[in-house]
Amino acid sequence: MSTLKNIPVVSHEKPSGGTGNLLANVFDELMAFCRSRSLFMLHYCTGCGAIELPPAMTSRFDMERLGIQPMVTPRQADILLVTGYVSTKTLKRIILTYEQMNSPKYVIGICSCTVNGGMYWQSYATAKKLNDYLPVDMYIAGCMPRPEAVIHGLRELMENIKKGESDNWRDYYRRYDHYLGNQQRLFGENWQTPTDIIGEARHYDLMGPETLGPHTALLEQHQTPLKPFEMTLGLADLPVRKDEPR
Amino acid sequence: MKLSPTSNLSASLEFLLQEISGLRSQWKSPRRLRVDLQAETLPALIELLKGRAGFVHLSAISCVDWPAQNEFELVYHLWSYEVKVLVMAHIRIPRDPGIYLSIYDLYRPAAFFERDIHEMFGLFFEGSPDMGKFILTEWDGPPPMRKEFDGEAWVMNQFDWQDYQPGWLKDIEAKGGGITTRPEDVRRDKPKPWDEQS
Repeated sequence: MSTLKNIPVVSHEKPSGGTGNLLANVFDELMAFCRSRSLFMLHYCTGCGAIELPPAMTSRFDMERLGIQPMVTPRQADILLVTGYVSTKTLKRIILTYEQMNSPKYVIGICSCTVNGGMYWQSYATAKKLNDYLPVDMYIAGCMPRPEAVIHGLRELMENIKKGESDNWRDYYRRYDHYLGNQQRLFGENWQTPTDIIGEARHYDLMGPETLGPHTALLEQHQTPLKPFEMTLGLADLPVRKDEPR
Repeated sequence: MKLSPTSNLSASLEFLLQEISGLRSQWKSPRRLRVDLQAETLPALIELLKGRAGFVHLSAISCVDWPAQNEFELVYHLWSYEVKVLVMAHIRIPRDPGIYLSIYDLYRPAAFFERDIHEMFGLFFEGSPDMGKFILTEWDGPPPMRKEFDGEAWVMNQFDWQDYQPGWLKDIEAKGGGITTRPEDVRRDKPKPWDEQS
């Protein structure tokens, strides 16, 4: 930072277009920095790659020194790690999990199988390209990648977040029609998730030119309205003593 | 006659199996007996083995598709904890209409095996409690383990493939990474370091 130019006040143009307020970008930089340094990771252990994560997380390679730690629920997680082959059945669950996560969220595909099916390329039950169905931020190829490679990939992601380059989660809203089309091709026309992506895109001003299209029109035809989940204790079904007053 | 592991095992078991007509048996190893029989006589064999020889454990039912003969082969693997013998009962049934009897009334675990075979081969078991979808809940194509199912063609039709992205490797190489062992380095005709030592 010897010259004024190197001071990271405005390091790059913001995609949304700056208002000319220098301070706003400073806060953005600060937020991006903090965000990149505290990533909570939800690892959806679909395949064999999951076996490389325990050493990466625990004392041997210690991911937590980078601020990355495992998280138990999708609501609190930032990264979704998909660690191996994705069967059609699992993909449904991954999409449900991804849509539950709060933005900004990032998807990492670990292992060759998430890139193009890997050794399951001939399998009728395995989805081939994860980025057809979800916006993948980073692929870590290998069969399986070593913990060093996993950590390297995560550091790359941290760099991208710091620079503000990883914003594929916006892409999911902007091109929802594309992603939904691929999902419908695999799961059938009646495919519907309990999350209202279009409503969220409207609410958070994330609508793009491809948010709505033929596939979302199809969704609206089949969509059953979302209802709040009623919780009952079901006491009537419990066995009661005969002399108990009702 | 009661079987015991100390008696002359093969002779006693074969004596028992004589009750089933048209049965051929062959010892594959001292504890593994292969039995080939008519499909109609299989329930009788199973009742005989379960009732008289203590074959209480149905390990698995497996299915083989023989498209040239237009037949399915079903193999019932039965294990006895008393005489410690595995009996593999092979039957053949015609592929069309592909219906056979369930043995759920004799062995409860058969429900799962039969449901699995129904899903993978389309073979229907009469009397099985549930012939619904089991593992392939998202599947509505033909039974995928039949020989005529062309998995590769189906995959080519159903999925897109990742385009080759040369930029990805260039990105990695720009950061000091890259491929350390190229395919031509591990060719079979190339002498290996360990060959020179020996």
